[in-house]
Amino acid sequence: MPPSSRPLALNPRDIFRVWLRYFAVFRKSLLYGVTVTVTQPLLFLLAFGFGLASLIPGVDYRGVELGYREFVFAGIIAQALLLQGYFEGAFGSFVRMYYQRVFQSVAVTPVTLREVLWAELLWDASRASFSALVIAGIGSALGILDPWSWLRLVPVVVVGGLTFSALGVLSAAFARTIEELNYPQYFLVFPMFVFCGIFYPIANLPVWIQPVVQLLPLAGLADLVRSITLGLPFQWGSLTVLLVWFVVLVPAAHRAMTRRLVK
Amino acid sequence: MTDESALPLVIDGLRKSYRTRGSQRLVAVDGIDLQVQRGECLGLLGPNGSGKSTTIQCVSGFYPADDGRVVLFGHDVAREPKQARRWLGVCQQEDSLDTDFSARNQLIRHARYFGISHRDAATKADELLRRLDLAGKAGKLVEHLSGGMRRRLQVARALVSSPRLLILDEPTTGLDPDIRRGLWRILAEERAKGTAVLLSTHYMDEAERLCDRIALMHEGRILDLAPPRELVARHAGTEEIEEEVRPGLLWKRPPNLEDVFLRLTGRQLD
Repeated sequence: MPPSSRPLALNPRDIFRVWLRYFAVFRKSLLYGVTVTVTQPLLFLLAFGFGLASLIPGVDYRGVELGYREFVFAGIIAQALLLQGYFEGAFGSFVRMYYQRVFQSVAVTPVTLREVLWAELLWDASRASFSALVIAGIGSALGILDPWSWLRLVPVVVVGGLTFSALGVLSAAFARTIEELNYPQYFLVFPMFVFCGIFYPIANLPVWIQPVVQLLPLAGLADLVRSITLGLPFQWGSLTVLLVWFVVLVPAAHRAMTRRLVK
Repeated sequence: MTDESALPLVIDGLRKSYRTRGSQRLVAVDGIDLQVQRGECLGLLGPNGSGKSTTIQCVSGFYPADDGRVVLFGHDVAREPKQARRWLGVCQQEDSLDTDFSARNQLIRHARYFGISHRDAATKADELLRRLDLAGKAGKLVEHLSGGMRRRLQVARALVSSPRLLILDEPTTGLDPDIRRGLWRILAEERAKGTAVLLSTHYMDEAERLCDRIALMHEGRILDLAPPRELVARHAGTEEIEEEVRPGLLWKRPPNLEDVFLRLTGRQLD
């Protein structure tokens, strides 16, 4: 049996065809799409990277003295991946699954449901990665981050984008109504956003909570982004944390969404 | 022995059950066997919950079977979904039109999932929009189409890949009589080209008119499978049936599939 005919085999061309459907929708309202993708991280960048940074002289991060602007700039790249990936994965996939029934109509063509769901995750991650790389490019252009560090960042951004997109799709698979997506948003996404070392070092938190926070995917991602964009020692432990979440969340999202759709 | 690769559809011992609330399992399809020949229209007739839509979801490969197999043009839909579905067109019961695209663009996009070139897809989309009286709405988004137009567009989408097996799940439910007849005409044209049709309906007039054979389904099983007239003759006889249509007003009519279903199950079709 040729590889593409095995039910478990994925055909990249078919995945790309579905990804193009998402891109075509994005392209139709390009200005809106680009605006919502980059505005929110840019606002954070202005508020914290330039506004608050002028009040904070420096930050002790893993024993290295960093300017607050450098510190928070790298963190905002990570949080852009969280928010863009999660919201597109959660709300976007819920709309496509529940209201538009895109998954159901495509998965009766030669494109399989697994491929449709991979296209969904890749699209969600694409938007998140685009947003993060725009911020990284601005940081590099302004001389705040290492020049060309945004290029070295690509693999981490893709893994981070897929991880948070998978978290979104997983949430959508369990949500009975679109309002129920607020539960993971308030109890998981926002706590990660405020506690995972984006705006201040995790070492500033109470000692008892630090190990818990370090195990969350955003903390690992923020550490990795800082090590790459600021030329700090590579954080292998953070990479492990992120990869474990990636390996758990991506199949879990696939399985949960498949169970939601297929009786 | 029949050569399966020559047949549009072979269903062999198909069984499908669902988890319901709690740990109960509901058997939706209970070991059915079917074959659809080239150019044939086979109807699945039964009330809601009889297993028609589940059978269709299994045939399209969207639901995996618990047991048995579904073979499309010689390809097992579970093992070789891409090859099996290459010549399959599905018009689902629910409205699943892509609200992000115009009528024409979504036909083209759907055809692309079958590996059809953009140029061929555009040509086919234009032809179908003309045939289904939607040419004037080609550039309109789905939200600007009426219910009847949306249904026709869904049929057009099922046809855009030039399928050799067309699956229609309750295609005319809720449509005006003239739109129903329009869709029947399209089906006749497709069948004349050799396209096989698997039609799920609970309209007995539609089943009698369109189907070469009808599988009467009840509680996941096929009660009988035969041409419509043969089913009626076999189970309801040939004598006219007298029924009271209003108090004191008796009406004689020939027996029909409704009577067959009533005799076999004790319940009405709707």
